[in-house]
Amino acid sequence: MFQVIGGRSVQAARLLSPRSAVLLEAVRGRKSREDPVAKSKEGRIKVPPPVDPVEMVVLKERFSEYQLIMRALRLEFKEEVLRKKYQEETGSMAEERAKQEAEEHRALMAWNDQENQRLLKLRMLRFQKEKEEAERKRVEAEIQREQEQQELITQREREILQLQEDAKNFITLENLDQRIEEALDNPKNYNFAIDKQGRVVKQTVQQ
Amino acid sequence: MPRYELALIVKAMQRPQAAAALRRTVETLMERGAVVRDLQNLGDKLLPYKITKHNQKHERGTYFLVDFYSAPGILASLLDHLHRDVDVLRPTVLKKDDPVSGSTNCCGTKQ
Repeated sequence: MFQVIGGRSVQAARLLSPRSAVLLEAVRGRKSREDPVAKSKEGRIKVPPPVDPVEMVVLKERFSEYQLIMRALRLEFKEEVLRKKYQEETGSMAEERAKQEAEEHRALMAWNDQENQRLLKLRMLRFQKEKEEAERKRVEAEIQREQEQQELITQREREILQLQEDAKNFITLENLDQRIEEALDNPKNYNFAIDKQGRVVKQTVQQ
Repeated sequence: MPRYELALIVKAMQRPQAAAALRRTVETLMERGAVVRDLQNLGDKLLPYKITKHNQKHERGTYFLVDFYSAPGILASLLDHLHRDVDVLRPTVLKKDDPVSGSTNCCGTKQ
């Protein structure tokens, strides 16, 4: 009697969303196992509803026929599905299809190989070109370096010659006296005057 | 190109003593292995300020310019020697750079 917690709500839930085929189940509603039977139900004998034999026979026949037909249909359909599946795997069409696929595969592989060859050729050409370019650049760079070296050498030679020329005017122990006399005779004056217009006056008075 | 330039201020003296002083200086240079390239006289001048050297005050001096090539190590001893010379008022050794080429890149007075 105290285990009646969700009797009605359980039935309502079963009604709203029946997961099983039956809507109702044998559920102990309000009373539990040990509770005595109600006074109004004391001598009650449950009796199933009466059956009409003629109706029963007719219904049985019809039902058996019906079920026969339904079962036959179901098996037919199942067989069809299985046959189809079998045909897919091991039928005449299957072989042809397999052959065709193999052909396609071969054709595609061949095409792929051709493409690879073509690209390989292009790549080789490109490599060649790049190598040639690199070679050419290297050669050019070498030539450039050679030229620069030559220029440097010529410049140095020029400087050396210039210095050799100047060396003739250097002061030595023999020139010394002569040069001293020369220097003392010619005082040099580097001073000059200049104005905003840019006129230069080189002659200034020495003090 | 000339490596160093000796700007020499010598005491205002008569010509023979000046010549002797110069000769002494150049010989000092040559002893230390320098190659003297040129010798210029900038004249007898009034010094910009009175210089006291070797316990004497000087107002006038003779300016000389000596270009020479030398090793850099000798400069210290050379200067020392020149400071001790009685006739020399002020020795100055400067490095000589390559002359600037007369290129038109320098704008100078032009804006």
